[in-house]
Amino acid sequence: MSTTNTPSGTASSPSRSGILARAENIRCVYGGGEEDFTAVDGVSIELGEGEILGLAGESGCGKTTLGNALAMIATPPLYVLSGTLEIDGETIDLSTLQPSDLKRHRPYRGRTVSMLPQGAMNSISPTLRISSLVRDVMRAHDPKITKDEALDLARERLKMLDMPVRVLDSYAHQLSGGMKQRMITVISTLQNPRLLIADEPTSALDVSSQRMLVEMLLEMVQQGIMSGVVFVTHDLPVLSQVSDKLAIMNAGSIVESGPTRQLVENAQHPYTRKLLSSVLDPSQETRRRGVARRSTTTEEVGTP
Amino acid sequence: MNLGRYIAQKTVWYLVALVAAVGLNFLLPRLVPGNPVDVIVSNLSRGGSVTSEQQKQVYESYVQEFGLDQSLWAQFLTYLGKVFTGDLGTSFAYYPASVNDLVGQALPWSIAVQLPAILIGWILGNVVGAIAAFRGGNWDRSVFTSSLFLSAMPYYCLSILLLYGFAVVAGIFPVGGAYSLGLTPEFSLSFIWDAVSYYWLPFLSLVVVFIGGQAVGMRSMAIYELGGDYVNYARAMGIRDNKITQYIFRNAMLPQITGLALAIGTLVGGALITELVFSYPGVGTLLFNAISANDYPVIQAVTLIITVAVLVANFAVEIVYGIVDPRIRAAKSGEK
Ligand SMILES: Nc1ncnc2c1ncn2[C@@H]1O[C@H](COP(=O)(O)OP(=O)(O)OP(=O)(O)O)[C@@H](O)[C@H]1O
Ligand SMILES: [Mg+2]
Repeated sequence: MSTTNTPSGTASSPSRSGILARAENIRCVYGGGEEDFTAVDGVSIELGEGEILGLAGESGCGKTTLGNALAMIATPPLYVLSGTLEIDGETIDLSTLQPSDLKRHRPYRGRTVSMLPQGAMNSISPTLRISSLVRDVMRAHDPKITKDEALDLARERLKMLDMPVRVLDSYAHQLSGGMKQRMITVISTLQNPRLLIADEPTSALDVSSQRMLVEMLLEMVQQGIMSGVVFVTHDLPVLSQVSDKLAIMNAGSIVESGPTRQLVENAQHPYTRKLLSSVLDPSQETRRRGVARRSTTTEEVGTP
Repeated sequence: MNLGRYIAQKTVWYLVALVAAVGLNFLLPRLVPGNPVDVIVSNLSRGGSVTSEQQKQVYESYVQEFGLDQSLWAQFLTYLGKVFTGDLGTSFAYYPASVNDLVGQALPWSIAVQLPAILIGWILGNVVGAIAAFRGGNWDRSVFTSSLFLSAMPYYCLSILLLYGFAVVAGIFPVGGAYSLGLTPEFSLSFIWDAVSYYWLPFLSLVVVFIGGQAVGMRSMAIYELGGDYVNYARAMGIRDNKITQYIFRNAMLPQITGLALAIGTLVGGALITELVFSYPGVGTLLFNAISANDYPVIQAVTLIITVAVLVANFAVEIVYGIVDPRIRAAKSGEK
């Protein structure tokens, strides 16, 4: 995919051509009736090609809501009042004021923007074989693809991640939590999405499974399976390991954003400092980053 | 995972249940204090039209038929032999008509009016309920309200309303019965044509209530499933709505299948109230008359048929469930 398309007529044109996506002025409300609750209030984010953007903030600050708006899966009572997503030279109107908007967004879902949901545990219909879901996902934008072709790709990805290929023949209830989480990660990235919204993908996992999943995402970005990730979590240690940029959210707005290192070492906004101090011991954090770096490099060497 | 093992296990359990049911069916009339035959024969003689000679003859034929002079165990074997050769005995009330004949005459009417009503009602009800859930809005509100109203309405209310409106006042349909007086049931065009005009009202009263009940159930199941994480995820992957609808339908269907099978299972018992309101000569009417006349062999035969039918229906449900829902298969066959 070409990444050299520069949007015309933008006042603050990017310094480099490596911009993957730019979302602007996203506003989301719950309700639609008299008592609307504004969950996301005019958020804008920008993501470079191959970049991982960490989105952090307290529980209830609107991270999942923003993710749903970006992934274009807002359904009542959630309404996206305004917002645009500029990606691959195309500007998508994110607003969902009409029921028909859900249909309008379908061509982009899963392929342009994909989603790794917070509730991955229940993301597969209990009466559906995983292989059937894989087939349906692959056919979502390419109806002519055969089941075998779809499964071949899934097998290839599973092998890449050291997962047993037999999970494809299983039902969701037959997989462990970690397997399910990784299986969902494979499915979410099957269509080689340009942008992946990963909403707390590690929240239900133990530490070693967390590591495995995070490394898997990093590897997929390195291999170009996807071009960018918005990594949502309130787990700042994980974020500071993997993300290139951080955006800190509070009560529906982004209060501070910037390169990860800069933000961690020199937070400006009092809310960011509070968030960082509540979870991070800087010295430990640097050590962990070292570990993460090293393990990813070994992985790189390991894969042909 | 292992469907064969699951089915084998179920089969064994249902055979045990069947034996227990047949045994109970045999025992119950014999547990009635005193000899049921005494009671019946004295009832017969109360009418006064039976001479003591005839009475004695009837008595002896019953004693012999039931093997009442033999041990309980021998009686049971005789009973089993008769049941399995399809001989349900002789009616007390319509002596010497065989129970087989009585049931054989009534059953086709019950099946003819109920099976289409149940199948059509089930399909329409589920489709309407699912559409209401998926469309939402005004569609949903009107479908839900009317379905709830219909399903909450007792059968006899609707039956009587239909009877009054269409038969008594408007005179479009005949008031009761299954065919015109003077005709004998036969497979001829003219007879079927005649029977169809008697058919509509009982059919409608059943189908309308059934549609309502199914629609209410399907709607709430589908709405529940619509909010599922897997729906959201499938949507996020760009999967088309009609495919997602299939996922939802498959999950929401499960409880509905039970409803269908049980309705079909109890069908052979007749639609008691509907048949009475419309004087329809089905199993319900037969059972009602048998109970009023203390006609034990008929009561016993009908309850046996109902029991077996319900068992078969439940068995079918479990097998279908096992095929559709892998979780049940795994849990029930003790496998994880
Ligand atoms: N269905 C809903 N109806 C009304 N309000 C909602 C609904 N879902 C979420 N909210 C509100 O929107 C706000 C943002 O919720 P959101 O799920 O985006 O938070 P979050 O940042 O993802 O939290 P967490 O870290 O716990 O996942 C919360 O205050 C929540 O109360
Ligand atoms: Mg969340």
